[in-house]
Amino acid sequence: MRSLLTPGKLVLRLAAGLAVLAAVCAACAMVGSEHVCLSEALKGPGQAGGVNPDYEILVHIRLPRVALAAVVGAALACSGVVFQALLRNPLADPYILGISSGAGLGAMLAVIAGFNWTFLGRSPVGGFAFAGAMGTVWLVWWLGRLAGRGQMTGLLLAGVVVNAFLSAIILFLTSVARSEIVYSTIFWLMGNMTEGDFRVIWVAAGFVLAGIGVLYLLAGGLNALSFGEDDARSVGIEPARTRLVAFMAASAVTAVAVSLSGLIGFVGLVVPHSVRLVLGSDHRQLLPLSAVAGAAFLVGADTIARVVVAPAQLPVGVITAIVGGPLFLVLLVRSCRGAGGLR
Amino acid sequence: MARWWLLLLFLGVWMGAGLALIDGPAAGVPATGEAEAPLRIVCLAPSVTEIVCALGLADALVGVSQFSDYPPSVMGKARVGSFWQPDIEAVIALRPDLVVALDFPQQRDVAGRLNRVGFRTICVRDEYVKELFEAIEYIGAATARTAQAAALAADMKRKLAQIRGPQAADPRPRVLWVVQREPLRVAGRDTFVNELIELAGGVNAIGPTVQKYPPVGAEQVVGRQVDVIIEPAMGAGDLDGQQRTAEAFWGRYGAVPAVQNKRVYVICGDSVSRLGPRLCEGVSLVARCLGTD
Repeated sequence: MRSLLTPGKLVLRLAAGLAVLAAVCAACAMVGSEHVCLSEALKGPGQAGGVNPDYEILVHIRLPRVALAAVVGAALACSGVVFQALLRNPLADPYILGISSGAGLGAMLAVIAGFNWTFLGRSPVGGFAFAGAMGTVWLVWWLGRLAGRGQMTGLLLAGVVVNAFLSAIILFLTSVARSEIVYSTIFWLMGNMTEGDFRVIWVAAGFVLAGIGVLYLLAGGLNALSFGEDDARSVGIEPARTRLVAFMAASAVTAVAVSLSGLIGFVGLVVPHSVRLVLGSDHRQLLPLSAVAGAAFLVGADTIARVVVAPAQLPVGVITAIVGGPLFLVLLVRSCRGAGGLR
Repeated sequence: MARWWLLLLFLGVWMGAGLALIDGPAAGVPATGEAEAPLRIVCLAPSVTEIVCALGLADALVGVSQFSDYPPSVMGKARVGSFWQPDIEAVIALRPDLVVALDFPQQRDVAGRLNRVGFRTICVRDEYVKELFEAIEYIGAATARTAQAAALAADMKRKLAQIRGPQAADPRPRVLWVVQREPLRVAGRDTFVNELIELAGGVNAIGPTVQKYPPVGAEQVVGRQVDVIIEPAMGAGDLDGQQRTAEAFWGRYGAVPAVQNKRVYVICGDSVSRLGPRLCEGVSLVARCLGTD
């Protein structure tokens, strides 16, 4: 049996996790299709007139991409943890309630409508994806409530049906839309890590960190809920309220991630389970360490995706599944052997 | 409760710090057709590579997209990713003083980022024949090759006029332009392929459709009484082999005039699948298939 979680242990593990994350980010920023010389890059943006390619590539191309992958990875892993806890379903991931298809439909509508305007220098695709994601979440929550208060099965089924319905609309639009529109939305649907504006990443990171903070404050409640509603009430947790806030925060965090980078599968499923298998299922530890592990995992996967067939790129979802799947299975087998079965 | 306020405070401080400390994207260099001969050019699509080379700038070309393979002199140039996914790192590493991209969503995005970090990038549209001539003129202006561009355009127009095309055939043969056999997908009206067919003197067998390259059913192929079936070949090699498989495939449509009269043609895809300076070769190739050359 694992010993109890103490604050000291948590801080230590979190610090170790953050150190690993920093190392992964630094290493991945130095890898790419072009060789970047660090000493050249540190000389700055270059003299008047000329440009310093090493600096431009490192600072304007790679660092934003690494930061974006870290933010998205942390967001997806955390909301995966929360959806698995809320729905009490190990197969749950951030997209299970239809956020993915809602965001995809929003993005596709923005492209099809040919919106060329920009808001604060931004194309409207991300905004539409965010609106689509949040609209879908609201619809699913409302349908789930019709099925009965606190009925997580109703919510799950509503999510699956809405997901299928919106996916059908996406398929319909794909088959009637002009080919170049289809291509650009397919790249978006496969996951697209090309945000280059540090301010956007910073603002998104703020919302994601705040969302993770909200979820962390609910971690005790999520722990209590895993023993059932009655036990939760007996320790002073209001199940309905905890669920609503956790659901909203996890959805918002996912919507931010999806509107930044399109759909990236597997992170929200495999990272929470891996952390759970290694460190146990106390949410006070599971949430922050899943965030760190998710960030490091996606930064690494995205680096592989942009390097392995350079100068072309693979969709990062290919790497998350190919690398994450076997890794997860190894952990699963080892854990089952050690503990004599799944808890 | 205090912890929730602390979280809100953190969010406020984070946002404020970020917006105060991080610069927005720089205004960038205005990408206009300034007349100043660039020495290091990167092209992000095969068709613009051909245009740039046709303007006599092959020596100044330092990087091309993955599938740029014409003229042969570009085969040794550095590759900067595919048409759909340009590798922006590879572009910057070549230190170009002009990047020529196509006006497509992915390429526009890359062009915007290149301009912001100080690499002059222009976008041209090249989806229809009219846009091809505009693109030649625009690239000519951006590379100080205005005279060469005008000469190239005039030469192309003269060659086009030499193809008898529309005058040769009455009634005009109905053409099915097959881009994919299974499932069957053909070129629709709103494509440059349609322009190619009409310049060569044919008419597209498929009427107006929502999609540019619509999937069609066997019913339509038979119902439209197609006179000529044209398939651009996949890859350069083994045209004869592809011709044989095409004839075997279309043999099942015995009621179609093109099949009865053995007018199924597999043609070299190169000059008809990209819109560039080799337009006239493409049109005369199609005209030979239609018997209107």
